[in-house]
Amino acid sequence: MIVRIKAFARFREIIGSENTLDLDEGTPVLGALKNLSAGSKDFRDACFDREGTIASHVVLMINGKRISGRDRESMVLHDGDELAIFPPVAGG
Amino acid sequence: MLSCDELERYHRQIMLFGEAGQEKLKSARVVIAGAGGLGCPVATYLAVAGVGHLRIIDHDTVDRSNLNRQILHWDMDTGRAKTESAGKKLQAINPDIEIEEARVRINEETAPGLVRDTDAIVDAMDNYPTRYLLNHLACKFGIPLFHGAIRGFDGQVTTIIPGRTACLSCIFPKAPPKEIFPVIGVTAGIIGLIQANEVIKYLLGTGELLENRLLIWDGLHSILEEINVERDQSCIECSQLQSDPMEKVK
Repeated sequence: MIVRIKAFARFREIIGSENTLDLDEGTPVLGALKNLSAGSKDFRDACFDREGTIASHVVLMINGKRISGRDRESMVLHDGDELAIFPPVAGG
Repeated sequence: MLSCDELERYHRQIMLFGEAGQEKLKSARVVIAGAGGLGCPVATYLAVAGVGHLRIIDHDTVDRSNLNRQILHWDMDTGRAKTESAGKKLQAINPDIEIEEARVRINEETAPGLVRDTDAIVDAMDNYPTRYLLNHLACKFGIPLFHGAIRGFDGQVTTIIPGRTACLSCIFPKAPPKEIFPVIGVTAGIIGLIQANEVIKYLLGTGELLENRLLIWDGLHSILEEINVERDQSCIECSQLQSDPMEKVK
């Protein structure tokens, strides 16, 4: 299946604004992001914490709808989905 | 009542929203939390617009490394309190408004007294713990919070109306890690001016605010995008607030 990754801010700097991933049916959000991190240490450092879970401050959306809570990593993606990843910025 | 000088000074914007609108700005009290990259453009444009009372809060002094973006602080101000540096420039830009310099660290003890009597709180901070404190007080006192944040060429901005929109904790339940962030001054200018524009629209009661909309600026690609956000029904800060403030009036 094909999943589109839409990246914002720092993530966009690392992987570009839009990527498409060819993933196995039933791949969860965590799997898609691990796939991206396999090719980029910078992405892995920015997206994951030391325990290998998606950093808690990273905002995730599937087809424009925010996903949150503990089960967000295990949410299954479907063909044609758009997974958006946004790291809030902190400076002022 | 506007003076002859004020009628002349604000002539071009009175054409937009009338003397009644200008009176609204004149009678408004706005607190700007932070006199740094965001606080400087916000304060400058609220001052020239004629917002009657600006309270500028910052405990810090001007460092040379601030000067690439904190446009109210000049080379000669290095070592001076940011509130004093900003206050002097703002008063020179517009002598018809009141500038209150609050050189104090924002914490749980000081913050309530700094924001309680104001019409709007501008988040021009550089860290989330203080932002969460401002958000808590905005929700507690029912004062709108105008959020902005920057990093590098990126920025984000939204308007929080307690009880009506997602609050900062709904949008960002977890803070990003603290860092010494890279930044170019234009990013602070762009995001700060959107915040100032939101404050002015709110005070005038005109236009459409960034309610439940997080605007994301990508300066490297010159792209402005929007993410819809929504209230978290289990939010510790705002879930108990009435969904429609007008219900209180009925």
